[in-house]
Amino acid sequence: MSLLTEHQKLQNKRKLKKVAGHSVTILALTAWSLFALAPIVWIFLMSLKVPGDIIVYPPKFDFVPTLNNYAEVLNGSEFLSAFWNSVIITLGALLLTLVIGLPTAYALARFKFKGREAIGFNILSLRFAPELLIVLPLYLIYQKTGLFDTHLGLILAYQLVTLPMLVWMLRSFIEDLPPELEEAVAIDGGNRWTAFRHVLFRLIAPGLGASLMLSFIWAWNSYTLPLVLGGRNTQVITTGIQQYISYQAIEWGPMAAATVVSMIPGILFALVSLRWIVGGLTAGTVKG
Amino acid sequence: MKHSKYLPYLLSAPGLVLLLAILYPFLTGAWWSFNSYRLNRGEAKFNWGENYLTLVTSGEGIHALFITLVYTISTVGIETLLGIAIAMLLNRGSYGAFFRLLIVLPLLLPPVVATLMWKVMLTQNGLVNFLLESVGLPTSLWFNGPDTALASVILIDVWIFTPFVILLAQAGLRSVPTELRDASAMDGAGPIINFFSVTLPLLRPVLVVIIIFRGIDSLKMFDIIYTSTKGGPVDATTNFHVLAYLDGIRSLNFGMAMASLMVLWALTNFVSSRLLKIRRSEALN
Repeated sequence: MSLLTEHQKLQNKRKLKKVAGHSVTILALTAWSLFALAPIVWIFLMSLKVPGDIIVYPPKFDFVPTLNNYAEVLNGSEFLSAFWNSVIITLGALLLTLVIGLPTAYALARFKFKGREAIGFNILSLRFAPELLIVLPLYLIYQKTGLFDTHLGLILAYQLVTLPMLVWMLRSFIEDLPPELEEAVAIDGGNRWTAFRHVLFRLIAPGLGASLMLSFIWAWNSYTLPLVLGGRNTQVITTGIQQYISYQAIEWGPMAAATVVSMIPGILFALVSLRWIVGGLTAGTVKG
Repeated sequence: MKHSKYLPYLLSAPGLVLLLAILYPFLTGAWWSFNSYRLNRGEAKFNWGENYLTLVTSGEGIHALFITLVYTISTVGIETLLGIAIAMLLNRGSYGAFFRLLIVLPLLLPPVVATLMWKVMLTQNGLVNFLLESVGLPTSLWFNGPDTALASVILIDVWIFTPFVILLAQAGLRSVPTELRDASAMDGAGPIINFFSVTLPLLRPVLVVIIIFRGIDSLKMFDIIYTSTKGGPVDATTNFHVLAYLDGIRSLNFGMAMASLMVLWALTNFVSSRLLKIRRSEALN
């Protein structure tokens, strides 16, 4: 009898400990979530305020919301053209990266050839070099060749951001698949191209999607390249948003609204594909 | 499968062409770093590495190196510790998926945009100072204080990039078989011993990837610092990358700017090649 109660006591104690553990966990996670969300919520509130409500101290939490800031941002041509420039340059850069990167990654993964590791490492090292190392000389080269402040010029320069990771990740994905897959197709009379198209490509498609997604985010967020190589005609989101801050005054309201709008594509993209992206970055490090 | 000797080169030709194309600006820049070259004062003139010497003697380079290293060590250290801790918490219960969605948001914004948001919060009369004041704590100058600017910038980096560590660490933790943890718990290991003897060694490959990305990106951080402080006040947050921009684009002194960049490149290249070798050997095992 006493043994049973002892046992029950022990069980209760364990249960209590578990509940306490979970409570502490939830508390800690809530605290970090609040930290993560606070600036986003604050800028969102700010985007709904009239100028008078923004600059007051102490900060205002109850105010009459307005959509004026959004109207100003979306009706003005500046932000919209920056948005479109971002879309054009990012998508153009991704397309070019795909054309260059896919065959390169395949060659690096499937063939042993002289210079393989050198090519692989040098492409990847572009991702790890400081951007200005290449971009500062490009600034003068672009001015001489007329590529300065053009979409094409930026699409070419963005390869520094998009290509290395795509090649690196795709190479890992292809290496993870056994070469016997393609050999099986060859036995059935197919060649390397049909094997790639019908078997390999389908298997790496999710990984390819992840790599493209990640490249998209990196290109979309890029700042140094458009800052140095872009101008009035190729203002992108990251450079355009700074236009609301001038030496005379900061247009807080429109800046906040523009900030909120510029967050949307990245968040949409990533929410759809978070799992893929993580899979891509950890390719080859996480087994099973 | 048989293939022509040239096929691998043919396939990697586009990548090779791009690499060769990049070699031109790279070599041009490397050459400038040995020249006295101001855009507004005519042609470049070879000066026997005087720029590198100036980086040391003027103290600018030493200062930038110091800021770069403090920034990198702080951000990588804080983000790795916090990231792994939070990832372990997220993996504990079924509520993980919900919190993960909220926690990951900062990573999805352009760093420039995220920095602007913090700039709004950390002004003299901003939200954070108001909150500090209302609980009786002293307020801070944040980006405008010579002693607080660097910490403020590091705070933004931690806010943006801790989720990056969380995501990777979570993936890594999932690959740790629960049986292993249970077995070591059965042997009487407490959670702390358990972490260091079972979890951490198995997290190693993912940790290497985390440190490659966070380490290199911190060494060459530009976006957050330039958007928030432009390297100031005075030079309190001027790391190598920002110094190069100020020298190059602001002062049009391309010789000095390229010298800074070559030093920074040597630094990032050294770190990345070491870490990548470790990763490559682990991936193949």
